Amino acid sequence: MTALHLAPQLLAPLLVAALLWPLLLAVRVLLRALIAPERPRAHLDWLWISAPAPALLLALLSAEGSLWLEAWLFGGHWALDEQRRLLLTFTALLWGLSGWYARGYLAGEQTRALAGDQESRSRLLRFALFWPLTLCGNLLLLVAEDIASFYLGFALMTFAAFPLVIHTGTRAARTGGLAYLVMAVLGEGVLLAGLLWAAGSGSALTLSELRTTLATADAGVWMGLLLWLGFGVKAGVIGLHLWLALAHPVAPTPASAVLSGVMIKAGLVGWLSTLPLGMTGVDGSFRELGLAMFWAGLLGAFAAALWGVAQPKPKAVLAYSSVSQMGMITALVALGLLQPDSWPAVGALVVLFAAHHGLTKGALFLGVGISERAPPWPTWLLWSLLTLPALSLSGALGSGLITKWGAKTALDTAGEKTVAFWLSLAAAGTTALMVRALWRQWLERSQANAANGPSLAPMPMAWLLSVLAALGLPFWAGWLTGERAGGDAWPPLSALPALLWPLGLGLLLSCILGWSLRRVAPWLSQRLPAGDLWWPLAAAGRWLGRLIHGLLRRLAAWQAAWVAWWVAREHDGATGLDALTSAEGWLRRQLPVLLLAVAVGLAAVLLLSAKSTPLWPWPVGWPPW
Amino acid sequence: MAPIEAWGLAGLLLLTAGFCLLQRHLWRACLGLVAFALLMALAWLLLGAPWLALAEALLGALLTGGTLLWTLRGRGALPRLAPVDETPQRARSTAPLRWLLILSWLGLAGIALIWLLGVDALTPPASATTLLAATGVLIMGLGLWAFTIQRHLLRRLLAFNLLGSGVFLLLAGLAGPVAEVRGLILVGLVVALLGSILGAVLLLRLHAQAGQITLSGASPAGSGSGP
Amino acid sequence: MSPLPLHLLWLLLAPLALGLLAWASPPRHSGLVLLVVLPLPLMALWLLLGIEAGPMAGRLTLGPLTLHWRLDGLAALLGLLTQLLLLASALYAVGYARATILGRRAYAWLWPLLGGLGLGLGLIWIAADLLLLYVGLELMGLCAVGMMLLPGSAEALSAGLRYLLFALVGSLTWLLGIALLLGAWGRLDLAGLGAVAQPDPVTQIAVALLASGLLLKAAIVPLHSWLAPVHGSAWTPVSAIHGALVVKASFFILLLLWRLLLPEAIAGAWALGVLGSLAVLWGGVQACRAAGLKQLVAWSTIGQLGYLMLAFPLLAGTSAGVAAMAWQATWVQLAGHALAKAAMFMAAGNLLLSTGAQRLEGLTGTSRRLPLSLMTFGLAAVTIMGLPPSAGFTAKWLWLQASLAAGQWPWVLVLALGTLLSAAYVFRVLRCSFVEDVPEPVFRELPLAMELIALALALAAIGLGLAAAWPLAALAPAGLP
Repeated sequence: MTALHLAPQLLAPLLVAALLWPLLLAVRVLLRALIAPERPRAHLDWLWISAPAPALLLALLSAEGSLWLEAWLFGGHWALDEQRRLLLTFTALLWGLSGWYARGYLAGEQTRALAGDQESRSRLLRFALFWPLTLCGNLLLLVAEDIASFYLGFALMTFAAFPLVIHTGTRAARTGGLAYLVMAVLGEGVLLAGLLWAAGSGSALTLSELRTTLATADAGVWMGLLLWLGFGVKAGVIGLHLWLALAHPVAPTPASAVLSGVMIKAGLVGWLSTLPLGMTGVDGSFRELGLAMFWAGLLGAFAAALWGVAQPKPKAVLAYSSVSQMGMITALVALGLLQPDSWPAVGALVVLFAAHHGLTKGALFLGVGISERAPPWPTWLLWSLLTLPALSLSGALGSGLITKWGAKTALDTAGEKTVAFWLSLAAAGTTALMVRALWRQWLERSQANAANGPSLAPMPMAWLLSVLAALGLPFWAGWLTGERAGGDAWPPLSALPALLWPLGLGLLLSCILGWSLRRVAPWLSQRLPAGDLWWPLAAAGRWLGRLIHGLLRRLAAWQAAWVAWWVAREHDGATGLDALTSAEGWLRRQLPVLLLAVAVGLAAVLLLSAKSTPLWPWPVGWPPW
Repeated sequence: MAPIEAWGLAGLLLLTAGFCLLQRHLWRACLGLVAFALLMALAWLLLGAPWLALAEALLGALLTGGTLLWTLRGRGALPRLAPVDETPQRARSTAPLRWLLILSWLGLAGIALIWLLGVDALTPPASATTLLAATGVLIMGLGLWAFTIQRHLLRRLLAFNLLGSGVFLLLAGLAGPVAEVRGLILVGLVVALLGSILGAVLLLRLHAQAGQITLSGASPAGSGSGP
Repeated sequence: MSPLPLHLLWLLLAPLALGLLAWASPPRHSGLVLLVVLPLPLMALWLLLGIEAGPMAGRLTLGPLTLHWRLDGLAALLGLLTQLLLLASALYAVGYARATILGRRAYAWLWPLLGGLGLGLGLIWIAADLLLLYVGLELMGLCAVGMMLLPGSAEALSAGLRYLLFALVGSLTWLLGIALLLGAWGRLDLAGLGAVAQPDPVTQIAVALLASGLLLKAAIVPLHSWLAPVHGSAWTPVSAIHGALVVKASFFILLLLWRLLLPEAIAGAWALGVLGSLAVLWGGVQACRAAGLKQLVAWSTIGQLGYLMLAFPLLAGTSAGVAAMAWQATWVQLAGHALAKAAMFMAAGNLLLSTGAQRLEGLTGTSRRLPLSLMTFGLAAVTIMGLPPSAGFTAKWLWLQASLAAGQWPWVLVLALGTLLSAAYVFRVLRCSFVEDVPEPVFRELPLAMELIALALALAAIGLGLAAAWPLAALAPAGLP
């Protein structure tokens, strides 16, 4: 089965259009706001929603190939291959659906803005402006093959997403924004250091050259470490994930969906394009990096699940689930360093896993919004639909089942049964998280519905489509790539127990723990806030800030005292000098005496120093009178 | 043994010099200077330098003395100086130091004199030149003492003139009235005359402008110390 | 041995003759002065160029008296410097008379006194005879006192009277020393004296006496206190020539006689060096606290004169190399400081004349309104502070090398402290002139010639540092025995 391959010459215009169209839309928003600032506008119109359309078209229709732009930065090189097409497809799809969803989600805000509410208007304008910008960065980093474009896209996406995080302007949003910005700057710094070091030492201009450089350079593993950590901030590696659980829940739901669904995958894309995965003959020290990645991934997968189940907010639970899932992906990526031979299969699986997780997590986040503003559908239907992506993520349905089966097969082939077991165990954690998220959604539904009112038309439609896209990923992905996901992609019935036991275990654990801990649950939730390590770190930071502030204040006091001391000494000195100069009057009055003194003194010096001639030239006792 | 007239002249010179320097009445002091200059002329005659005696009488007695007397008379529009010096003496605190220094100075001159003239100079001087040189040292001491202790500018001018005469006597006594000595003394006399005239005129104008006859009042102009 | 050549005689007497002429009809135009006086420095330059053939010497018989003279490279150089500064001073005086209101008679008297000063200085430079030196010294001293008294104010009179009295007493002290020398060795000509004189107690006492007289006239600490008041009230052209040359003539005589009579008296030379160091420090400290600009410049003169005294310890009993360096440094410093100090006095006079102020605080706003005068002051200060490439720097550098080579490290400290102090008082002036936040005084326009003369002198001082090799070449063969 081959995809529709249009003429290769369509690639260049489509590629450029895919990147330019969001930019043009952002410019349009800006221009409209600038030209007639007083005239109320509905920024989130159909044209705005169409921002990712060219990209989707490109991913679906276009051939693989590359585009060279000599004048762009250090020579632009944008490419489209199989892996990029898949990533581009689900990215554009989720962005499109979320944008559509946002039109409904922010309809109230839009109404208030049209009615003349200044705050709503500026919030909406900000959202409408930065949404396409973030999208543009995301698309650019996906298609970029040259390092400069890639980094530009990465940075644009990172920093343009900040206004989306702080959209609501509440205290929690500001905290989330702060965490996001701090970690983003930290990550960008580390990333830039790694990129510049690697690119500089290998004179690499493209990502493939960079990978080769990393594999061969002397300090390649250190560059690799920097790159892993730099991208790890985005991908939510345990320890660097602090911002995730704080920023994802506070953003507006469509923004949460793209943040947690596709933007988090930018880190993964970074790893895939820069680390020497599956390459033979790399330095042995990369194996240690791989081990570190692997254990960090597994630790993240379990720790996030444990912490996540204590969260009361469904979006926070979902965010921790993202950390957990990304931990599994990290562990799989680490296999590329540990077992380069199995990488072709594992690598393809990782991309599929990413696409599955992206779409499903997007559908889950969008579903939170649906549960808060329930459409007038029968409850059983609504909740069944809400449960579907959760089951998929747990690996019981659709894309989840396929991915899991693929992972098991690949790992078994690679002889990593232990890894497969641990990943399955982590899937039990995922199940528990899903149960927790749905349970919290169920509990909060009436309260939230009372506050928010019914959902508007675009929201359920977009959500439904996203659920469908997520569940049907294996079908259309296979169609897209034309290779896997045929009949053999489905597990045989005999394999089902091996695949489904984590689900059962997760459900069982959830029931047992949920029931037994029902009394201490609120207490636990309070003790284990979202953002985990962020809070002690922030407290330590504040303490340090206070300490430094106090030190500075003391230093300033010391300095002032020091300056005052010197001023006083200067004054004393001037007084002393004046006293000294007043001696001049005495000298003037005693001038004749001084003249005598100088003459006598000089004569004395001359006479006494000349030992050869005695002062008295005759014998003592002479003259004799 | 020095001739008796030399002894007498030396005694008279010392007496006049002492009178001139100690006298607070300025007119009398200036007359004392004239008398001293005439005695100096006699001394030059005694030493066998008649031209120098003439110059001394003319420049020293007539012109310098005349200038100082004229200053006291206060001719012209300028106000007259007070006839008697009323300025206080210098502080006593530095008196021992002053005495010590003046005696050291005289000691230095004495040592030089003994080195040059031989130990015979310590015995009662045998020749007129030696006697006059010793007198010159004593007059110089008197002049120095007066110059350091007195404040009145006119009296300081007197002291300066006597000091100069003492130096001249010492010079002539040491080297004899040779051409170089006469040349030096002649130049010295002219300088003393010019200095005295200049000093006297300035004193009159200073007295007229600021009413002061000493130097000490002028210190603020140049004290130079800032705030 | 020849009698005084006619051109030398003319060079000596022309200033006095011109001065008397100007006394009869005081000049009003600087162009005329320039035209008439310019031949003098040119003649001096010609003499200096001709001196390479070898020093000239001779005697002059006046009845029973025989006077000795000699003209070597140093004398010719100082003669040229004298003529140049006389010309500058005369030119400046013409402009000064136009810019201020001077008494007509006082202004007329300036000229013969200036001429007499020129004659006295010329006699001192060429004298090879104590009598001739005495005549020159007295002539110069009396003329200088007369010039200082010209303003006629009570302050000037008081300060001038002090100057007069002590100059006269100083002369007597010096005469006493000469009397002892004459009595001991029976001759006054320097060459003969150098041949026969022994460093016995009489010579030592004589030198101590004449040195104290000369130190008084050269304003070396602690016998300096007549100098600052005198400059505070004197006319600017008079201050310029006085600070530049008159005090240095006494130093010149002292160095000449000391090297002739007591070349090996190391302790005495060190005592003089210590006095010089005290002068550097005391002058610097006083300049840092001086209230008036002219007083500041006068105190700076006292400090700078102290440097010259370092010549004594560095020349006494040191190796030939050290002595050569110290010798060159001394004369470069003397010439450079003469030019720079004249420039500084003139620039200070310009500033004071323009602002009408006397105190440093009155200089506010001059940085903007009188940039040329302030720049001249700064350029002159470059030499005073001893910054490269000025003559002051060359001199200090040579001294530094000589001190280190001779192992006499205290002078290094003195040089460093003196430089710091001079920088402090120069920047004090500049700081006052850059203050802008007080109401500006009314500025008076000055003739451009006054500014240009000062600028030319300041530039000459810096140029001397750049082209120090030429005057040093003239000094070296004849100067060192």
